[in-house]
Amino acid sequence: MPESSEAPVEVTVTLTGDLHARPAGALSVAVAKFEAAVELIVGANQVNAKSVLAVMQLGASSGQQVTVRAVGPDAGAAVAKVIGILTEATKVGD
Amino acid sequence: MAANVGIVLVSHSAPLAEGTAELAGQVGGGSVTIATAGGTDDGRIGTSLVKIQRAVRLADAGAGVLILPDLGSSVLTVRALLAEPEDLPAQIVMADAPFVEGAVAAAVTAAAGGDLEAVLDAAQEARHARKL
Repeated sequence: MPESSEAPVEVTVTLTGDLHARPAGALSVAVAKFEAAVELIVGANQVNAKSVLAVMQLGASSGQQVTVRAVGPDAGAAVAKVIGILTEATKVGD
Repeated sequence: MAANVGIVLVSHSAPLAEGTAELAGQVGGGSVTIATAGGTDDGRIGTSLVKIQRAVRLADAGAGVLILPDLGSSVLTVRALLAEPEDLPAQIVMADAPFVEGAVAAAVTAAAGGDLEAVLDAAQEARHARKL
């Protein structure tokens, strides 16, 4: 199913806490295990989620919307994983 | 699961190396061995070939070792070590990267199971990462 697998999967979430260094690291470590190319989009900034420094550079903070967009065979699972990390890890606000 | 690439942080200052290792380890999620070689053998600011050798042995889990030096003579001391490869892991490389950002990027890539080349690339790409 190469055609359907190349359709981008996109989900947007509103952060309930700031995206600090530790969740950024957890996010990049998790994303690296997927084949899909995963991007985080905050406002006009769009970064490769596999690059922890780029994710930190977003400076995404509580109340901001983050869009997770993935393309690839496991795009759906990758987006679900990232949304899970964004919603859980930013709750604790470390 | 295969072993992860190990990381050695070489700094003129032991607290700088240890603090950077702590930070990178936490961002990487704690599943990577980050060994430090900070300061001289008698605890002053400087570098120690013996400390670096010891750190390399600690960091080596069989998947290769990335060495990240801070400044100046750290690079020279690592070069001196790499010039005598007999007692070193088969895969060992020095990264040309900013110390904190390079350590964090390398730790995350190593934690994700990246090979030595991927970890080296991640560290060296940190040079282009903007902070603001």
